[in-house]
Amino acid sequence: MYMKIEFWGQEFKANMVIGCIGGFLIAVASSMFGFGGGPFVVPLMTVLMGLPMYVVVGSSLLAIFFNTLMASSRHFGLGNTDLVLFAFMAAGAIIGGFLGPQIAKRLNPLWVKRVAVVGLTILALMLIGVIPTPR
Amino acid sequence: MKGYFLLLLFVIFLCSNYVFAQEEQAQVDKIILNLDKQVYRGGEVVKITGKVPPGRPVYIEIASEKKVQVGRLDARRDPDTGKIPYIFYLSKDIPALYMILMPKEVESAYNIEKAKDKDWSVSRMLLTTGADVAYITPAKAKVERWQASILATILGSRGTKLEPLDEKGNRRQSMPLIKTRFRWPERVFSPTIKINEDGTFEAEYRLPENAPGGTYTVIAAVDYTLRSEVQTFKVDLPWYKVYFPKAGVSLNAIGPFLLAVAVCTFGVTMGAGGGFILNPLLIFIYGIPHTIVAGSVMPTVLFSQASGVYNYSRIKFISWKLGVGVGLAMMVGGFIGPKLTEMITLEQYKFLFGWVLIILAAIMLWQTTPGYIAKNQKEQAILKEFRRRAEEAAAKKREKK
Repeated sequence: MYMKIEFWGQEFKANMVIGCIGGFLIAVASSMFGFGGGPFVVPLMTVLMGLPMYVVVGSSLLAIFFNTLMASSRHFGLGNTDLVLFAFMAAGAIIGGFLGPQIAKRLNPLWVKRVAVVGLTILALMLIGVIPTPR
Repeated sequence: MKGYFLLLLFVIFLCSNYVFAQEEQAQVDKIILNLDKQVYRGGEVVKITGKVPPGRPVYIEIASEKKVQVGRLDARRDPDTGKIPYIFYLSKDIPALYMILMPKEVESAYNIEKAKDKDWSVSRMLLTTGADVAYITPAKAKVERWQASILATILGSRGTKLEPLDEKGNRRQSMPLIKTRFRWPERVFSPTIKINEDGTFEAEYRLPENAPGGTYTVIAAVDYTLRSEVQTFKVDLPWYKVYFPKAGVSLNAIGPFLLAVAVCTFGVTMGAGGGFILNPLLIFIYGIPHTIVAGSVMPTVLFSQASGVYNYSRIKFISWKLGVGVGLAMMVGGFIGPKLTEMITLEQYKFLFGWVLIILAAIMLWQTTPGYIAKNQKEQAILKEFRRRAEEAAAKKREKK
């Protein structure tokens, strides 16, 4: 159940049952809806598995990469990947990857998070149907 | 001799009369169909005129030759047997754009069906309005079907493939797929044909802005046998518009691109990827099917994740045991998820995604609480220190080499 992890001379015990069940569920949702799992996997490893942030940053990315790779090939195999749409979105993602950190330096991360909370809540209410949207 | 000649004339007269009568009959039973132009652009009006036998209603089918893949899970309880069929239907031959124009006279029948809101059905609409006679192109779509089950979904298959449908079955099952694709009656039906007493008719059809480029077919039908010849027109895309083949729409490419840049920039700034915001917006703004949105946005993060993994591994900042361990579980999840995307309706996708976003918003809210911030600051300081050491070690190793 517990797995010993060595990281830069320190040893940690990781509850892999929680890690695998949590990772599995996050991956199902992530691949089903088509978003990255980062914001869920990091709290899973830090809060539920009790690992420190510096162990988690790289390892969580590796775990998510497994999911992205599998899910992408599955979506493609099922005929649901529009390569033109993918090309445009990927270009946007790459540019956003450069611009994001530049902007993040100049902003108070607390306020960015607060704006994100409000924005995500509005979007969620639109999706659930509480806020009406045009057909 | 004279008598024979007269008889011959008489016979010729009779025959010619018969032939003329035939011709007249043929003319009456023919549908004339004309379009005002051969080439259009998205947003323009197609003006259709023609003539049918007087007193007969006419229905006009307009279909794009561009096809898209549409799938749906039949999970509606059968009222007779009380069982849920769980059959997955899929066709790759659904027109990317489809419209049946109907006589103005059937508007009331159209409105009755439309008033059922999301419970409307294509087959009922076709029967009550009489538009069934013009349901021609999608009726030829090949529909495949699978008996779905939870086990099959977990194993990642569509289920057991069932016997191919016959012609009638294909036609029947293409109808719910048309609804899945176009969602609302006004996108498939329009009671706007004006038919005059002499049988001449005129209709206007405004092509949507996102109409796919390429050839379209137009057929007018009075009944199941009496149809016009197939007319065609083309939709030309201006240079700035791009056709998205799986989504089945033509869009001004600058729009989705700027949207992706803006959303991904914000996503990176807030510490989550772009998908959370990008996917709902692609559905809301451009009406792209959820299966295509999920399938096209998911792979966009492959490169950034791969380069991230590479950079961390170079400075040995990854616990492979932890990453691979959880990663294998996630790989299993990533195998099942994309199948589920196909199995759920747009409504279910939106509803579930809404709750995912609420959980995400809750996590982010928690990350703005003073307790978390204090802890996080410490963690980040330690992280920085470890990272510095890791980078130094990696640099030293490189020097040695």
